[in-house]
This record gives sequence, structure tokens and C-alpha cells, in this order.
Amino acid sequence: MKVKKIIPLALIFLLTTTMVFGQSKRKKRKEANIKWNYEIKCEGISNNGDFLLKVFSFADNRSLDMETAKKNAVHGVIFKGIISTDRSCVTQPALVKDINKQEKEKAYFDKFFSPGGAYTKFVNLTTGGAIGANDRFIVKIGRKRYHKIGVMLSVNKNLLRKELEEAGIINKLTSGF
Amino acid sequence: MKKYLVLLLTLMLTGAMYSQAKKPTLMVLPSDNWCITNGYYLEFDNQGIKEVVPDYRKAFQQSSELLLAISKINGLMADKGFPLKNAESVIKNINSTSALDNLRSSKDGGSAIAESPVDQLLNQAKADIILQLTWNVNSMGPKKSLTFNLQGLDSYSNKQIATAAGTGTPTYSSEIPVLLEEAVISFMDPFTNSLQAHFDDLFKNGREVSLRIKKWDDWEFDLESYFGSDEEELGILIEDWLADNTVSGRFSTTDATESMLIFEQVRIPLYYDRNGRQVAMDTRRFARNLSSYLRKTFNINNKLTTRGLGEATLILGSK
Repeated sequence: MKVKKIIPLALIFLLTTTMVFGQSKRKKRKEANIKWNYEIKCEGISNNGDFLLKVFSFADNRSLDMETAKKNAVHGVIFKGIISTDRSCVTQPALVKDINKQEKEKAYFDKFFSPGGAYTKFVNLTTGGAIGANDRFIVKIGRKRYHKIGVMLSVNKNLLRKELEEAGIINKLTSGF
Repeated sequence: MKKYLVLLLTLMLTGAMYSQAKKPTLMVLPSDNWCITNGYYLEFDNQGIKEVVPDYRKAFQQSSELLLAISKINGLMADKGFPLKNAESVIKNINSTSALDNLRSSKDGGSAIAESPVDQLLNQAKADIILQLTWNVNSMGPKKSLTFNLQGLDSYSNKQIATAAGTGTPTYSSEIPVLLEEAVISFMDPFTNSLQAHFDDLFKNGREVSLRIKKWDDWEFDLESYFGSDEEELGILIEDWLADNTVSGRFSTTDATESMLIFEQVRIPLYYDRNGRQVAMDTRRFARNLSSYLRKTFNINNKLTTRGLGEATLILGSK
């Protein structure tokens, strides 16, 4: 009789624990996203000024949310610049010079990077989200293992600059004249 | 009440309009190195010394690659709200204006238009900032790559204020115009970024100009003569005025003799207050203030001449 009572209790306990851990994982993934943990690499520039980028994002498991990759690409162009390690690209400076701009303009950037926010206008997946065989790595950060996944994207830097200029986040070249 | 409101708004708008700093003009020109390497130059004998100068007209007429690069740069700069002066059109305009001036004569006496040797010298293609363009094609076996160099040169301080340079990936197949177009697109953002840094410095620390003080031969005084109630040398009085009127008192005295004073890196404010509103300051206006100070305080008549936005010369003694 006692065993019969314990089994449902144990089941409820197990389910609750799994849900709590599931939430915790989602939260961690979200936190990783908030921390803008990514690596960005230039792969080429098109004739109209679109940048072809490979963005390596970090995920808890093998599946990467493509929106995270898109956000990381746009974030990189705005705040970090595009570093080129070979001669196929020219290193591009970040659009925003003030490293604390994201905190200073929190309301704007929270809205900009919100789901379906303005960032989606400037970025496209070039290979439909397909991930190359050599673009998956497992890396250890602290005591945790992460999947480092590379996705090819294109970012329209000219339009992005204009958007930030219109919003008053960065100065136009002509401002003051 | 409405009237006051409209008046206030009008005043604010006028103030905003006047408080715009003068926009520098930009023009792309091929570098001397590129012109001479590619055969676009003129040779002449300057008192026994062979001088070689770039022939821009010939370069624009014969090099389609140059036109492509300049057109691309012009397009990208215009997109950033900074349309450039087109060097080819400026050169054409100078030639046609000179031809017209040569043919013109007055109705009564038939006299020609007065043009001093100084006017002739100033009648050149010029801009406040010259974007000097150089590129060369490197060959390694069948592979070709392009080295690109774009320099922003301030015409008056003669400083390089912006730059973007580098060499692209060696390729077997791409044609030179394609490589050139790619280079322009890739390098323009780093270039405008450094140009923006220059403009930011300009707004923070003032515009950098040069000022020259000279004297006419027949003037009875010189820059070592004593003036004022404190019996101070004129050169020192002028330096004191500059210290009081430049941004943070910043200027360098490059040369100082009894007949000449050369000031460089003179940081003039971008605006000044006129009848309670902010008006854009330029070198001429700044030098005019010094001219008035010398005339009103020490009764020194003087002549003021300027060259573009960045250089003024004050000649003491008379107009």
C-alpha cells in the first residue's frame, strides 16, 4: 500500500525536477545570448557592400537557434567590428565607438534585438541555416561543455548604419556641418 | 501671445541655421606617384632643373580605371551625405573659364579682365580635403593582387587626417576593374571612420588653420617695434591675442622674425557670438578680428588675404 503511494509521489518529484532543470537550461541559453557570446569572421564583401560573415555562436546542445546567430551577427557589426585574419576581407571598424553604448541606450537596443525586432531587416541566412561539417566544435568553458556552431550570414552594413544614424545612436559623417 | 511664440520659433530656427560649421569640400585626385608611374605627367624646365608634375587632364581622359575608382568613391561618399567635388569637371571648368576670360574685353576701352599672377596661381583644382588615391597591380606568376591606398590630406595643415590602405587576395581570374571596385568598397568604411574621428576632433578642439603675419617693405615699424601702454613688442602682443582667442590657447609659432610671424596649428573656434546668435567662424573671420584689434588698438593698417578655408595672411602697414 505504502509502495503504491510512494510511486506517484516519486513520479511527481521526478517530473518537477526535470521541469526545473529544463527551465534552468533555457535560462542559461538565454543568458549566453544576453552575454553576446560569439565569434565573428569575415568571409567576403559583395559589390553592394553586404558583408558575408561566419558567426560562431555557443549553444548547450547541437541545435542552434538561428535567430541567436542573426542577432550575434548584427551585434558584432555594431559593437565589435569585423576582424579579418586573411586578405579576403578588410578589417571593418565597429559602427558604435562607445563600448558602453548598449547600456546607455538600453531601451533602444532591447527593442532592436527583441524577437522580430529591427535587427531582422539587416541580416539574412545565406545557406538557409545549413551548418558545414567543419563548423561544429565542442568547447569547454569553465566546467561546462558548449557546442560552438558556425553559420553563414550576410549583413547589410550600409542600411544598418543609416538606421542607427536615424535613431541618433551614431553620428552622421555630416553631423555638425 | 501667438506672435511671441512665432518670433521665438523663428529666432531658434535662424540660430540653428547659422550655427552650422562650414562644411569642408572634398575631392579625389590620383597621387603623383600613380600619375607618373602610369605616364600621366608633364615635364618642364624650371631654371635648369627638370620638373615633373602630374597631368590630371590626360589621366582623366585616358584612364577608365581611374574614372571607375573615383566614380565609386564619389558614390559611396554621396551615400554618406558627403558628395565630393568632381575633379574632372573642376579641371574642365577651370579651362573653359580661363578661355572665356581671355576672350572677354570691356565695351569702352577694350581692356582685358585683370588677373594678377597670384590669381593665376590660385586658379587650380583645389579642395579643403584631398582624397589622394594610389593603387598598383602586383603580379606573382599568373596571380594578380591589388594594393590600394587612399589618403585624406588636409590642404592647409598638410596633415594626413584619414587613411585606408592594404593589399587584396591574389587571384587568377578577376580583372583589374573588379579588384579595384572591391578594394574601394572594402576600404571606404575604415576610411570614413578615420575621417569621422578627424571631424570629431575638429568639433572638440576647433578647426586647425595657419596664420601668417607679414609687413610691407615701406612700413616704418616691424614686429619687434614697441606698441601699447606697456611698451611690448608687436610680435608678443599678437601672440597674446592668439592665446586669448584660440580654443584652449592652442597655437604654435613656427617662425618669428622682425618682418614675419608664422603660426601653425592655430585652433580657431567653430562658432562665435554675433548679436546674441552663434555664427560659423572661418579663418577669414578669425583673422579679421585680429586685423580689427591691430587697427583699433595700435592704429596699424593692414591687408588681409586668405587661401581657401584654412590659411590667412595679414600684411601690416597699409591695405
